[in-house]
Amino acid sequence: MRPPQSITAVLRTPSSSKSTSRIFTRNAGRKVVASDPQNEILRRSLYPSNIRNKETPTGTWRPDVMKALRRAIPSKQAHETIERAWLLHERHMRWKRNEEAERKFESMRRAMAELEKVDPILFKEANRVEDPRKRTPAEVELSKSLRGAPKKAMESRLPGLFPREMRLPTDTPPREGWVYNWRP
Amino acid sequence: MSASVFVKRCQVGRHEQRLGQNFARSLATHAPQKPRLAVAVVLNRAPIIAKTPTKFERAFYKYQARIQRALHNPFPYDFYFKPGSILEQQFNKEERIRERKAFGKDFVTEESSSSIEVERTDEDEVPAPRRTSADETKDVKDLNRQGSRNLYLLVRDSTNGKDEWRFPKGNVESGELLHEAARKQLTVQCGDNMNTWIVGRRPIGFFEEQSGISTDPLLTEKTFFLKGHIFAGQAQTQDSISDFAWLTKQEIESRVPKDYWLGTKDMLSDL
Repeated sequence: MRPPQSITAVLRTPSSSKSTSRIFTRNAGRKVVASDPQNEILRRSLYPSNIRNKETPTGTWRPDVMKALRRAIPSKQAHETIERAWLLHERHMRWKRNEEAERKFESMRRAMAELEKVDPILFKEANRVEDPRKRTPAEVELSKSLRGAPKKAMESRLPGLFPREMRLPTDTPPREGWVYNWRP
Repeated sequence: MSASVFVKRCQVGRHEQRLGQNFARSLATHAPQKPRLAVAVVLNRAPIIAKTPTKFERAFYKYQARIQRALHNPFPYDFYFKPGSILEQQFNKEERIRERKAFGKDFVTEESSSSIEVERTDEDEVPAPRRTSADETKDVKDLNRQGSRNLYLLVRDSTNGKDEWRFPKGNVESGELLHEAARKQLTVQCGDNMNTWIVGRRPIGFFEEQSGISTDPLLTEKTFFLKGHIFAGQAQTQDSISDFAWLTKQEIESRVPKDYWLGTKDMLSDL
């Protein structure tokens, strides 16, 4: 989030524009007798006013915004240096990630080239793209003969799709830790 | 294949062809044989927790949070907190602490004389620690170790007098596809007590080495590696493997023979 170049720079929308944002503020300025203050509160938070008659481009700043901003940002040059340092850091991360992806891809490409040389049938089968919706006749037969847990296992792992158990990394690990006593 | 080329160059006549084929058959022992195919599984335990931010990243996030605190849109306090309620007082108290932390102890927004101390009675607030007990003991069999890194299953092979660490490997039967062979070999080698998934049909790498069975220099064994993920369970030592370990990429480098490392390191993740 970047503060504007000059705090006093004003972003005014042209007053004669009939943009669709007007529709959302139709209820904003409505003065209604406060029969139920909760309704008023709700209306104010759901339909904030976007009438730009203040200095701020985004809404009503806190009243001591200049003081707070002076505390937060050491100086304009310092802020720009921090921005550049961050972008540089991001660039380095990106390069590292891309390099690793390239190494992995190259390894895979070499493996597939070798497979094509060694066994063309296996190569062809490896390149086949399976439709997760289709079931081969052999699989249909197999699924009829299975019951219970093996059937569930077969139905849960659809070829070409990610399994449900794949988990996003979180900030802290699960309370119980790794599940060791897993039965097929 | 010099034998087949020879056969093709022979005349069309049947007699000559038969002669040619007999000749080719007699040459068979000297022709390069088909390399044995093996399949191995690079079983990965994906990171459980997010990467620890570096000092620079932490400082930057704090800096951005300060700027946002100074500039953000008005928060609808009266929508979320009923005026005069205890929850509002609690929130205001915590907000003042946060403001002081962001802008300094002498940054005073308003004087508040609320002295009501409200105790937080949240039962399960404390999250599990990022560094687990497995990290302290450095137990390589524990799957809770190194939550932010990728761990790979390495298996110790003590057959035929050799003792080395490698990825679980097995042979491909004729007519079997690579990913099916991988799945089967994984259960054979490491037990079926693991919830695993082989990613797709394509191998991610290959490694060529001398076949351990014969001393023929032309007979090499080509191992194709397939990637797999483990979601639950644990590997079991069987008669084929004497030991196993879940290691990060750097730890694998120290355990595995040099040429094997150079052939397989590109498949593994740094992080």
